[in-house]
Amino acid sequence: MSSLQIFDVEARVLSVTKCQGNAYSAILEAKEIASCAKPMQFVNIMVRESRDPLLRRPFSLSDIEPSKGTIAVTWAVVGKGTELMTKWQSNQHIKVLGPLGNGIDSEFFHRAEKLILIAGGTGFAPLFLLAKTARQMNIDTTVLYGAKSLDLVMDSRPLQEMGCLVRIATEDGSLGTKGLVTDLLENEIDIASDKPEDTAGVVSVACGPLPMLAAVKSELSDTGIPLYVSLEQRMACGYGLCQGCVVKSTRPEEGYYRVCTDGPVFLASDVDLERE
Amino acid sequence: MKMDLSVDLGGLVIKNPVIAASGAFGYGREYARAGNIDWFGGVTVKGTTLRRRHGNPPIRVCETPSGLLNSIGLENPGARDVIDDHIPWLSQFGIPIIVNISGDSYSEFSELARMFSDCPEVSALEVNVSCPNVDSGGMAFGTNPGACYRATKAVRRHWSRPLIVKLTPNVTDISEIAKAAVEAGADTLSLINTLVGMAIDIHGKKPVLGNTKGGLSGPCIKPIAIRCVWEVSQAVSVPVIGMGGIFSAEDALEFIMAGASAVAVGTALLVDPYAPKKIVEGISSYCQSHEIDSLSRISGIAWK
Repeated sequence: MSSLQIFDVEARVLSVTKCQGNAYSAILEAKEIASCAKPMQFVNIMVRESRDPLLRRPFSLSDIEPSKGTIAVTWAVVGKGTELMTKWQSNQHIKVLGPLGNGIDSEFFHRAEKLILIAGGTGFAPLFLLAKTARQMNIDTTVLYGAKSLDLVMDSRPLQEMGCLVRIATEDGSLGTKGLVTDLLENEIDIASDKPEDTAGVVSVACGPLPMLAAVKSELSDTGIPLYVSLEQRMACGYGLCQGCVVKSTRPEEGYYRVCTDGPVFLASDVDLERE
Repeated sequence: MKMDLSVDLGGLVIKNPVIAASGAFGYGREYARAGNIDWFGGVTVKGTTLRRRHGNPPIRVCETPSGLLNSIGLENPGARDVIDDHIPWLSQFGIPIIVNISGDSYSEFSELARMFSDCPEVSALEVNVSCPNVDSGGMAFGTNPGACYRATKAVRRHWSRPLIVKLTPNVTDISEIAKAAVEAGADTLSLINTLVGMAIDIHGKKPVLGNTKGGLSGPCIKPIAIRCVWEVSQAVSVPVIGMGGIFSAEDALEFIMAGASAVAVGTALLVDPYAPKKIVEGISSYCQSHEIDSLSRISGIAWK
């Protein structure tokens, strides 16, 4: 666990936009967080000052602009909290706790020669930031992105413009390959395994629903390509107090890990991704 | 003017009446990254058992209207590790440390009391006879006056410093349990622990929590907690630490006027690391504007 400070910032809402993929994105002015946050970290947001919703809502960062002092979060409306967030007005202040979780640090980028990022649904948002950061460091980056259908696919053109190779699969075939993101992954591995030297230095990171992560883990298990997964779990505090947001370790003597402080990014071999 | 907000809880003197509640503070390390441990009058660490416990399977937390259902299941590293690793770190802040202990037998309670007796940094023990999330022990000790008496006595025999017993509201008559704890030697009572509750996932058609039932906390239980403090503080002569949904100074003052000598904040810490600071400042300014020189003057003032 890192001992770095966590800030509770009165963040100013700069904009809330409805974006491609039936998602919303907000840019927040939160200087303290923007100055030290890393890709794949998250923030815990008090959607409004009230006792209902009671808890904050955790969101991965979908962008960080340290020079502007801003961060971005991207979400799909799934309940009361996310619905209220679509009503935020520009210049209103909301409380944002962060940066939270381990995230991915610069050492990781020094080790990786090529990245394969595997995104499912809104899991695309934090991987967008990771891909952007990797490209800024000139790392060869492929993004495999699966969604149910065309209307739920977020905008990946900025990544292409940054030089990422982006492949998309939709379950109904309305965009890209018809099928699952694991089909794209299988294809990617087939190509790489013809030339074993091509898998050396490859690191993969996946973010999406649990069954997808389990399928990706199984797909990559014999390839020698290390896989990191970014997990979601029902969460309360987001900073390690309550031990509510746990995931089972693959080593029984370890018990459970806290997604908020031990994660959200784990080496896939460390965590049990089967449904309880 | 800086108010003197200190209170004496059966020999445990704290500089202000706001305590971190067990289970919402861990062992302090995580909290210290976001808040300041010095804001508290005292801190109660996570429920500690003799041996390490891994806790319950997820899902462990679920939000309900103005409330939080949890079923952590007393995940903790065990008493030895707490004494060797966590208490020495936490003691650097100079804030009184209360250790919440949970046994699954009377002899385990005795053993825990013996172990912490050798740990001078611990100011008080809080006997947990009210955890709703474990199969053996836990709440079973706190729902029967005889069992509560024996558990308290088992600790009292080996513990000479201030002894707190934490009561469950999941009983017909909480005063009866309170009296048994005091008779067995409790110096202070803390109440309430969480209420047993449940939620169903209508899409999965099963309970939300991995352990089916959980403990309900937060603002939605505050009226029940106030009623319990009101009853217990009039039934016994020892001080009461009130807790249950305290998020503001106004909430804390309600508890004090209902008969509490001090208060504890739990769920609020999960939402706002600054809650203790705001609550202490709010109590202080209330006392100043109402010319109250000691909190003991308003403790139980609503009885009249």
